[in-house]
Amino acid sequence: MHMIQRSWKIGGIALLAYVFWTTFTVPLGPGLLELRNLERAAVVDGLDRKVAAYELIGLGTHWATRPEDLSVVLRKKENLTSLPVVEVIDDTHAVIGLAIPDTLPSRSWDVLINHPVDGTLFLQNGLFLNGVSVDETATWPALTLTEFPADLPHHFPFQPRIFETIRNLMLHVPMWFTMFLLMGIAFVASIRQLSQTSGGSSLFDLRAEASVQVGMVFGVLGLLTGSLWARYTWGAWWVDDPQLNGALVTVLVYAGYLILRGSVEDERLKARLSAVYNLFAFVILMILLMVLPRFTESLHPGKGGNPGFNSYDLDSSLRAVFYPAVLGWMLLGTWMYRIRLQATQLNQKLHRLNDQ
Amino acid sequence: MSVLSNIRFLLHHAIRVELRNRHGIAGLLVFAVAAVYTCYQVTGTHAEQESWNALAWVVLLFAGFNAVSKPWADDDEGVRAFLVHTVRPQEWLIARTLYYMLLLGTVSTVTFATFLLFLGMDHLSGWTAVHYYAGVLLTSTALASLLAMIQALASRAGGGFSLIAVLGLPLILPVILVSTRYGGDLMRGIAFADTAHHLLFLATLTAGFSALGYILFPYLWRD
Repeated sequence: MHMIQRSWKIGGIALLAYVFWTTFTVPLGPGLLELRNLERAAVVDGLDRKVAAYELIGLGTHWATRPEDLSVVLRKKENLTSLPVVEVIDDTHAVIGLAIPDTLPSRSWDVLINHPVDGTLFLQNGLFLNGVSVDETATWPALTLTEFPADLPHHFPFQPRIFETIRNLMLHVPMWFTMFLLMGIAFVASIRQLSQTSGGSSLFDLRAEASVQVGMVFGVLGLLTGSLWARYTWGAWWVDDPQLNGALVTVLVYAGYLILRGSVEDERLKARLSAVYNLFAFVILMILLMVLPRFTESLHPGKGGNPGFNSYDLDSSLRAVFYPAVLGWMLLGTWMYRIRLQATQLNQKLHRLNDQ
Repeated sequence: MSVLSNIRFLLHHAIRVELRNRHGIAGLLVFAVAAVYTCYQVTGTHAEQESWNALAWVVLLFAGFNAVSKPWADDDEGVRAFLVHTVRPQEWLIARTLYYMLLLGTVSTVTFATFLLFLGMDHLSGWTAVHYYAGVLLTSTALASLLAMIQALASRAGGGFSLIAVLGLPLILPVILVSTRYGGDLMRGIAFADTAHHLLFLATLTAGFSALGYILFPYLWRD
């Protein structure tokens, strides 16, 4: 029995050690940052007229190795066209030539590259052209593009604007999941507290209290990691967003729960009143974090209609860390909750002995 | 006595007590008018759209909280002990909720009318004002359904006004988030049909709060 108890704790710590190690050591994969107009002309072999020069900027790319195999393509739906690479400056910078016809099917184009090391990368709406006439029926020479993955060791996927902060997925999201789990434990404990016949013990009440206390720790950590992430990706510590409002209000509601506990003296009344309030709190948590974000627009990743799993753009490299992270944080949270519960029970026993 | 006549009796009783002791409701209205006048002193009739919306909801919210947080004869332990043995707890809760709906409806109507009078209707015209008022009424209904429960909880805990605010304000924030967004949408000129789902959401919240209160209130009331 003791062996089993110890093994899940050791398992949780081992998982979190693996999660922390991989979260901060796995490199970020390559990606495209920008296609910038150099406002000058470039000479391209095989073309007698001069064309506009653009600079393609990548992050973590390897164009200096085998620069002759770098190919750049513009895409709009089925329209694909190849762009000549004028010069590869270094790993992350290359000059591209762009001969613009007068009539184009569209003004904005996705930019794709193929490179033997980096694989296929793309920059959505990377090119926007002013001063051209748009004819949607116009077509460009058809081209087939074979997409292939990067030839690089294990890495996290590159996401526009998110970049290195994608690592926060392993901290922030599992912290909220753990908070959900703990508040769920508190919810069940409160229901059982209310459903036992009067004069019953306050064991379930103590359980609810301990799990809300630990859940609050994870909620506050979730707010802090989220705020830090927002500072780097959105440029502000806090933004007005349904998901963020919901998170803050949830933490406030549970703070209310702890304050309510502090303001009632009688143990039995306290157990009953706080159980009732806790049920309200959990329903509000569900409304705020599960229901409301589905109906409102949100900037939060994975939101905007469907706060589900698949929309996190999880690929296998992220999953290999994310699922262990969820399990590891939950095990840690459960462990903290058990310790907290034992401490409260011992404290209560001590008070009773003191009274006698 | 049947359930309905019990509820009707309790509701009548609450209204009679309220009207007998008129300085209670007068105090609420003075609070509301003073709050509106303070806003008027700062912004005059030239409040920006966002400020107008924010001030309106802040004044309405606090007038509502003020209205439910005054002490009740029923909160007295003796009266409660009597009521516990005469009516079912759900009957008492329904009567209390209905009474709060009436009270908050009245207070927010007066507050909103004063607000329109002083801060002007530059941002609302014709039907928009009516739609905005519908939002105000639904919000006060949602407030009533939640605060009937929270007020009973806080008075059982013996915490008074500050406890009602601590427990009630976070719980009511989802309602306020929806109503402020609704008001903002109307003022920005978005068609009523495109923002009416906010009203539906308010009604759903009211129903949810009432159902939760109906289930949980007996646990709160018994000894």
